Amino acid sequence: MLTLKGLVLALVTLSSATESPVPTYHSWVSEVRLTFFATDEQNQSVQDIHPGDFAVVDNEFVIRKFRSFNRANETTLDTVVLIDSSESVLPHYRKEIAEVLHLISQTQWLPEDKLSIASIGGSEIRTICSRDCSSSFMSERIANLPTGGLTPLYDAVADSARRFLEHRDPAVRPVIILFSDGKDTNSNTSFRDVAETILQSEAQVYAIDVNSPKDRSDGTDALQRLAQISGGRYFTIQDGAAEILSAVVDDLHSAHVVTYVPPASTAEFHTVLILPTHNLNLQFRCRRGYYDPGSLGKKRSP
Amino acid sequence: MKRVFSLVLLLCSYPLSVAAQTGIYQHGTVVRMHMGDCMIGRHGFMATFGGPSVPAPQESCPEYTLVSDKVVFVIVGKSSNQLIPLAEIIDFRFRNGEVAVRVDDAPREAKFAIREMVLRPEWDRMQERLQEQMRASYDQRSDGQFALRARE
Repeated sequence: MLTLKGLVLALVTLSSATESPVPTYHSWVSEVRLTFFATDEQNQSVQDIHPGDFAVVDNEFVIRKFRSFNRANETTLDTVVLIDSSESVLPHYRKEIAEVLHLISQTQWLPEDKLSIASIGGSEIRTICSRDCSSSFMSERIANLPTGGLTPLYDAVADSARRFLEHRDPAVRPVIILFSDGKDTNSNTSFRDVAETILQSEAQVYAIDVNSPKDRSDGTDALQRLAQISGGRYFTIQDGAAEILSAVVDDLHSAHVVTYVPPASTAEFHTVLILPTHNLNLQFRCRRGYYDPGSLGKKRSP
Repeated sequence: MKRVFSLVLLLCSYPLSVAAQTGIYQHGTVVRMHMGDCMIGRHGFMATFGGPSVPAPQESCPEYTLVSDKVVFVIVGKSSNQLIPLAEIIDFRFRNGEVAVRVDDAPREAKFAIREMVLRPEWDRMQERLQEQMRASYDQRSDGQFALRARE
């Protein structure tokens, strides 16, 4: 979704005519690549977007001149479905599993699509199947998952994001569909670390909150933030699998990619925002920032 | 009823259309934007006896650096969702100690509190100084961190 292209430029400087040449290597981010989605006031995808319709706000600087602007060419999905099966979600567990099964069975997976499923509960993350979970016999395994225990939620999300980093393919969109109440009780990973890993992996998080609407908690806030940071979306379990699926597919087909030269900054983390230039009814969704590996400035959390 | 409605509509849109036609709008470009503290400035009776202020204490409001020919303004929205379209050129004018920004071609204006005003030449000088500082720290950083000395 957003990548940095670091250019290494070798500048050979001669300290003096008599001394040996001393090459100096400078490295910096030369281009930011940002994948984004536009929606109207009814939250419907808007596909007819032009470069003059939006500006990027990168670390407060408004950028209107872009190097390139295109439709995203990702055509296939690499999806990880994370199912929270811990103690705290047990009251909603039946509904959760029903929606997961519905989502998997209703999706028309392409042969190139990859689907992995893991459950979060107890002290570990259990991989149910990896990269090829669309076959029907998975339903039984999902329905019979062991339940209870603690919730290593952030560890599970960070692990999934790291897996995307290892197998990054520009033609494939990495997606995490997270069914949870958002309450982490047993992770070694902090929220900040999981946010950083998500941003690096360019994965989008579609967070499905299994809490009932009147039972909102810090978990709800965490799920909303994970979705927001990644440029994904937040749903409640009441929205249903069809709605979630439609959002993922909509995003796959309506994404645009813009590239630009980032503003000079000493900050290691750049916040990013896309805003309309004339039609305030347009809303733009993208990841909330990127890390500048060449920077040694102050680190800000996403 | 229709006539009354049309008359009210005409009266409401009159000041704006007059403003546009008489060319009282100044032109400027928003060069920076971030979410910052909201300006809660109220005066008079309401400040003394009124209830809690709007917006909520934790709410952040958009802050824009608006550059015009002669003056640079730092203006603040009154709520988190008061946005300015970030077009290359926007039209604005002073109104009751605030900056009223024309939102697109729609017959409405959005009003923003003024946090700072700086004369353009002074702002340009400040920006140049900042650029120099940035360049210097960048060079220093490059020399310290990325310089590889090839020894024979």
